Amino acid sequence: MIVPFLESSTNFDPVAEFTDFVNHPYVELPLGLDINKGVLYLWISAAVAILVPLLIIRRGLKAKPSRSQTFIEMVYDTAYTQIAKAGLPDEGMRIWFPYVATCFVFIWAMNVVGFIPLPFSGESVEIAGVDFPKLQIYAASANLSVALTLTLVTFVATHVEGIRYNGVVKYFKSWVPSGTPKPILPLLIVVEVLSQFVRLVSLSFRLFFNMLAGHLVIAVFLGVGALMAASLGNAAFAVHIIGWPMGIALYLLEATLIAALQAYIFAALSALYIGGAIHPDH
Amino acid sequence: MALEGNVNDAAKTIVLGLATGFGAIGPGIGVGIIFGKTIEAVGRQPELRGQLQGMMWLGFALTEAIVFYALGMAFVAFAIT
Repeated sequence: MIVPFLESSTNFDPVAEFTDFVNHPYVELPLGLDINKGVLYLWISAAVAILVPLLIIRRGLKAKPSRSQTFIEMVYDTAYTQIAKAGLPDEGMRIWFPYVATCFVFIWAMNVVGFIPLPFSGESVEIAGVDFPKLQIYAASANLSVALTLTLVTFVATHVEGIRYNGVVKYFKSWVPSGTPKPILPLLIVVEVLSQFVRLVSLSFRLFFNMLAGHLVIAVFLGVGALMAASLGNAAFAVHIIGWPMGIALYLLEATLIAALQAYIFAALSALYIGGAIHPDH
Repeated sequence: MALEGNVNDAAKTIVLGLATGFGAIGPGIGVGIIFGKTIEAVGRQPELRGQLQGMMWLGFALTEAIVFYALGMAFVAFAIT
């Protein structure tokens, strides 16, 4: 989002940054398949997720690894042992390890690209007679459509794999613990069916709101001084002094820790759900 | 006492703040418990550190998501009425 840099502004509306771009697509296509800023960020993230590992690996892997090779090996090791092995049974590894690893790398790329200031804000600022585009941070994953689409892939995959490995009757029976007393069975069925759909909400909302709230908090801390300048006048400078270090600290926290953590969580939970459907424990 | 000005907007803003704030209390306690217990467990059995850390982050994320339900509902209340 665009931070109003030390200028008084009463119409600072951080939420609008996440809704306005839908109405101003770059290319209009039928069926709502417009190419707008969100789509552009998705493409950039996909390019980063594909090209960065590819370029590092294509340079040649050595027995004595360079720093970039160590990084790639660490990412692969995390995806294999921490994410896939922890959730998936051995027979599901061949099909679903690539999926969860892709989820991990792609969402991580989306989140990190979302914290790099890029000139796609559609607004410009004039410096010494030349129009420069205003820099802006925007994450493709701070968008419910993206998070929900990824979640739906996991959701459908979970149930398809559950039915494929266990058969329809045995799979749906496995939702309810065996040996449940008859009287509470209807209640338990309702709760278990509901919990399957709550997964859909929780998995998508976690990613979406984490990124949205992260960007909002940064924007609020950086912009709160400008927002209060209308009522405080010159005293708003004091607010800037508190707001900017806080904003920058939060930016560093979000860009390094939260971006990676959310990707890890999404992939780990996907693996756990799919693994749980392949091998229902209860 | 009659209230002047845009009472509707004021109420919405207050509700947004209150809902998010109250919604953050429970998960705040929960996240504290998760990290504290993990530290305790690692202190007791340092060799399980790797396994415990994976479970810790998972528990952290599951707990933390509850703040965002509150935030989401607060935004809905802010946007609709």
